[in-house]
Amino acid sequence: MRLTYTSEVEAFRAEFSAWLDANLPDPASTTVRPRSSGDIPAWAREYQRRMFDDGWLVPGYPPEFGGRNASLYEQAVYWEELGRRRVTQSFNPQGLGIVSASIITFGTEEQKHRWAVPIMRAERTAALGMSEPGAGSDLAGLSTRAVLDGDRFIVNGQKVWTSGAHHADVLLAFVRTDPDVPKHKGISALIIETDTPGLERRPFQDITARQPDFNEVFFDDVEVPAENLVGELNDGWRVCTGSLAHEREMLWILWSQGLDQMLDAMLSQLNDGAGAGAADDPVVLDGLGSSIMDSWSLRLLGQRQLARSQRGLHVADQSLLKLLGSEAQQKLALLMLESLGPAALDRTVPPGAQSPYESDRSALSWADRYWFTFAGTISGGTSEIHRNIIAERVLGQPRG
Amino acid sequence: MEFEFTEDQLELQRAVRDILDAEAPPELARAVADGQKDAADFWQTLVGLEWPAMALPEEADGLGYGWVELAIVLEESGRHAAPGPFMSTVTQFAPLIAEAAGPGQAAELLAPVAAGQTTGTIAVDEGAGTWDPAEVSATGRRSGDDLVLEGTKHYVLDGATADEIAVAVRIEGELRVVLVPGSSVQAVEGIPVDPGVRHATITLDGVRVPAVRLLGDGDASDAIRRALEESVTAVAAVTLGACQRIFDIINAYAKERIQFGVPIGSFQAVKHKLANMYRDIERARVLVYYAALTLAEDHPDRTLAASMAKAAAGEAQRRCVQDGLQLAGGIGYTWEHDLHLFLRRAKVGELHFGSASQHRRKVARLALQSSAA
Repeated sequence: MRLTYTSEVEAFRAEFSAWLDANLPDPASTTVRPRSSGDIPAWAREYQRRMFDDGWLVPGYPPEFGGRNASLYEQAVYWEELGRRRVTQSFNPQGLGIVSASIITFGTEEQKHRWAVPIMRAERTAALGMSEPGAGSDLAGLSTRAVLDGDRFIVNGQKVWTSGAHHADVLLAFVRTDPDVPKHKGISALIIETDTPGLERRPFQDITARQPDFNEVFFDDVEVPAENLVGELNDGWRVCTGSLAHEREMLWILWSQGLDQMLDAMLSQLNDGAGAGAADDPVVLDGLGSSIMDSWSLRLLGQRQLARSQRGLHVADQSLLKLLGSEAQQKLALLMLESLGPAALDRTVPPGAQSPYESDRSALSWADRYWFTFAGTISGGTSEIHRNIIAERVLGQPRG
Repeated sequence: MEFEFTEDQLELQRAVRDILDAEAPPELARAVADGQKDAADFWQTLVGLEWPAMALPEEADGLGYGWVELAIVLEESGRHAAPGPFMSTVTQFAPLIAEAAGPGQAAELLAPVAAGQTTGTIAVDEGAGTWDPAEVSATGRRSGDDLVLEGTKHYVLDGATADEIAVAVRIEGELRVVLVPGSSVQAVEGIPVDPGVRHATITLDGVRVPAVRLLGDGDASDAIRRALEESVTAVAAVTLGACQRIFDIINAYAKERIQFGVPIGSFQAVKHKLANMYRDIERARVLVYYAALTLAEDHPDRTLAASMAKAAAGEAQRRCVQDGLQLAGGIGYTWEHDLHLFLRRAKVGELHFGSASQHRRKVARLALQSSAA
């Protein structure tokens, strides 16, 4: 056990830091903003492509796929540097982190180069079609149907909560290809171009009333080439849980950084007199102390998971980290609202809430921030589902 | 950073656990709780194993283990609700001697501790329950070659049985630490919540000790604060261990206890309580280990880290004691079930050396200060 990284890992950090110094776009060039998580402005496309070409987009991948075969600790300091500078890895995070990652893991060589590489190089953007009106926590109960007809699938059904779909070029959609077997065994993963006839996208606003990111996606006899199947037919659940694993592997770093940004903002606003003396209120101090402990424990638990992965040990704390991170953000937002009192009634975004290299979606008033934390406790498995997972898979309790 | 135990540390953890499984089974804690036994034999066993010497520096005939290793031992000690003066002697008395005495004096005073000949404790708090050196009002005045002490100290761990007590007093305007033989003070014990963790109120009025028993030179406020960071981290580690034991008992019980024809652990209401206990324990665990690591490396975060560890252990005990006892149902409410032995150890951990709330507020103030800087 030790507090510092090795000198090799620090050298890696220094190299990436120097690259960022040399390659981050001039803030003046970043005025065109992404409209959703499926939209990347031209300046950011160019920047993401440079990250890919120089092996800094996904450092753990080989150079062919935008990386440099970095170790887990090197990947961790990569995220630390991005977080410290408040630079987002991609404005199409689900495209890079889940869709292209799933294709790299489960796709054919041809699919990797045809679909994953253009998404990683920000030439195209992607969205993820998972949840349906009738399949949320029970994701495997999805019913969007795909019937193989010669060299194509015919897709009918509906997805919902499909972030960024209205601006995305492709979807990775999970569909039912065999309705006559247990639900986990009849699912397949398909890449579907969003301009295919019969596919309709209807964006809708979330509770924070900003530019819409969510979509309903309707499929009405949508024809998809059979070659767009990712993984084996009816083996889509493996792709799905694999893609969630991609999402969760380093996700704690994003929870941790999100929480730290909220905490930094709260500390500086309280020091500046926000909440009319809240910084001297013992109740506020008590809650603030607990949030600071959440932040540290999240980082330390993530580091422990990293150390265990590095040793090749099974890691089982993804649900714990997600639960802790999402609920900690909610707890902190609620505390800040209560500390501010009536001053929180104004939804004006505080200055300095956003860096030019982050999505505008991170710039929120405290009231909207509080609503937004429910995206954390509901999406990617609700807190209740993660408590079940912890009890069953970590603590060995019987399934109910 | 590499935030996991090394192979040697894991091996130590296994060894300590095996020893305590054999030497401090629940029957020992129960015999102490029933007043049928004291901790003397168990302490002699630990002395035989050189545990008092473990974390002491080699200059004082110690074995020179680091703080992470000590935290491993303390956690296991809490997990077994082990009785005796290990915590007071090794995590309170020894650090205060090391911080407040000059190097030569410290080695001389700690050598008998390492040899298991002397037990010790500290007397800082005067009833506020904050252990804040700034609130000390007990005094000492010089009288010839002696010091004469006045005042009353509260919540002195093992205060009625320790051989030596390191007492914080004000002398000529400075905060100082004076070593007082346990036999020279009047000590009164109440009825302890956990009979394995005994506190006393000690009255110093008129106690006279030779001036050579004054430790170090100059004001000892910082020395006391630094030593208390070790003591607070130790309490947190013991509390963590007690919480882990409560959790182990309840997690196993939920798999075995059949109601409505199924194990109660299959009910979501039970699962969610267990998941919350696990979350709070793991949160406390990493903060305790982090505090130990900052002490081991004398890192500037040690003040913050000690308070975070104590507060997180306090929050974990609140969850584990509350939900653990609730989930155990009627059987946990009996004297004959072992659960209460660990509930007591966990609860005591919260109530001394600053509550979770006190430490949370301290954490918040430190963070506000560092954000403003």
